[in-house]
Amino acid sequence: MTRVTIYLPALKRSALICFIIFACLPLIQMTIVSFTATVPTLTAEVGTLTFDNYLGIWSDPNLRSAFLNSIAYVIINICITIPVAIPAAYAFSRLSFMGDKHLFLAFIAFRITPPVVLTLPIFQLFSALGIVNSVFGIALAHCLFNLPISIWILQGFISAVPKEMDETAFLDGYSRPRFIWKILLPQIASGIAVTAFFCFMFSWVEVVFARILTTTNGKPISMAITALFGFQTDIGLVMAVTVASMLPGAVLLFTMRNHLSKGFKIGSL
Amino acid sequence: MRHQDNSGWVFVLPAVLLLGLVGLIPLVTVINYSFFEIFILDARFWVGGEWYQEIITSMRFWASFGRSLLFSTLILAIQIPLGIAIALCIPQRKMWVGITLAMIALPLLVPWNMIPSLWLSLLDPETGILGHLFPIIHWPIDWKLSAPHTWMVIIAMDVWHWTSLVVILCYSALTTIPASHFQAAAVDGADPWQVFRFIQLPKLYHVLLMAVLLRFMDSFMIYTEAFPINAGGPMGATLFLAVDLGEDIKAFNYGPSAARSVLYFLIVLTVAWTFTKAQGRLDREGGA
Repeated sequence: MTRVTIYLPALKRSALICFIIFACLPLIQMTIVSFTATVPTLTAEVGTLTFDNYLGIWSDPNLRSAFLNSIAYVIINICITIPVAIPAAYAFSRLSFMGDKHLFLAFIAFRITPPVVLTLPIFQLFSALGIVNSVFGIALAHCLFNLPISIWILQGFISAVPKEMDETAFLDGYSRPRFIWKILLPQIASGIAVTAFFCFMFSWVEVVFARILTTTNGKPISMAITALFGFQTDIGLVMAVTVASMLPGAVLLFTMRNHLSKGFKIGSL
Repeated sequence: MRHQDNSGWVFVLPAVLLLGLVGLIPLVTVINYSFFEIFILDARFWVGGEWYQEIITSMRFWASFGRSLLFSTLILAIQIPLGIAIALCIPQRKMWVGITLAMIALPLLVPWNMIPSLWLSLLDPETGILGHLFPIIHWPIDWKLSAPHTWMVIIAMDVWHWTSLVVILCYSALTTIPASHFQAAAVDGADPWQVFRFIQLPKLYHVLLMAVLLRFMDSFMIYTEAFPINAGGPMGATLFLAVDLGEDIKAFNYGPSAARSVLYFLIVLTVAWTFTKAQGRLDREGGA
């Protein structure tokens, strides 16, 4: 044993703790401010501990509906993305077809295209289709980056399933779609969960499409927070809404943590 | 070897149609607009490549291009090694893994438009946790007037926001390494550096390529987070590429903003192409 190997575990642990403190520091700040009165009211002076900010969320109908809108569009987005991504991921993983490499390149290009590049035409297109100011419009626009990344993640999971499984199933008389539905899906269940989590994560926090597609109605939570900024901003309320907006994700994250920690293989074609 | 089978198209068709609708049609529209002078959408005049010429020859464009490139380079140089290091530090014991991962991933859940507010609040000299430390580390109260300090804040913010993604991706790749590899290394008396260099790092190549791609492109086109920190200041020292585009769009300059979008998309395409080439090479070498 060299000296390095003796000290390594302690070194690793302290590095990890430092990083977690760094990751949590702004969140702690946010939580402290969210429990502080930042504008003078009848019940609390500025700078004192208060729960008014959280009560304020509940009493504001705009904020309540914003939460519902956010949840609605994220769920719609996941319901569109996953069923479309599964057959595509299967095809990229198992089948070789003409132009598959080019198609994959195109998908990746769309994933990394910054939303701001496509905001104007997407707004026009969606106005023409009549899905502006609705949760459905945002859900559809977010497919631009969620669909390629879902295909990517699912493809890794499908490639990890042994190919013999396909062949045995076909010998038993399964068709491809029935094989995917009956045999493949249960095998990649945790893959679907991880994919859905990533869709949630990227969609919940996105603001560029969310802003341009909701001018009057259907505002998600991120836009409702922006609307709170004004001449005299109640920063305590803003932080309280932000804390609340992270709760669904945090709950999902903690229920998903064992799927995430199981490890998944992504990135190889 | 996989045999050629064009029935694959049937399976990817829904995805192609969906991305055609939300990706390709808007893209074609943008390309179309970029050649016109547009006051209102019904009245337009063909101007050819004039907008492109205007952008390509402007100092402002190349200055923000350079700033974005520098920013992305710094971000990659910090986030990728840090992400790998933290992923290697995650404990082996079952119970702690999930909790650690969940804690690390929390910054990814903050709405993007709130991230600058969070950091400004953190750095507030009167109420911020870090703001209280300013006198100790001789950090100027009026840091917004200094370009290096503003850069440091934006980089720290992005490192905070996105390193978690690199950690999660790297960790997921590390867990796919069979335990027998480590046992074999221990028998051979390999030191930790050799274990990392010859067992862990090769397993990370694919996922690192993906992390580099996502982090490069997203930081290169950073928009929502960076601007509110200091409004691109001081003296435009933190004006990145996407800010110019955002301003054109807000001013309803259809033509110039479309031309700019097309130029940015060409950058995207170049990066994506380089990425698939690199991936192809990895696949051939690794045989994976």
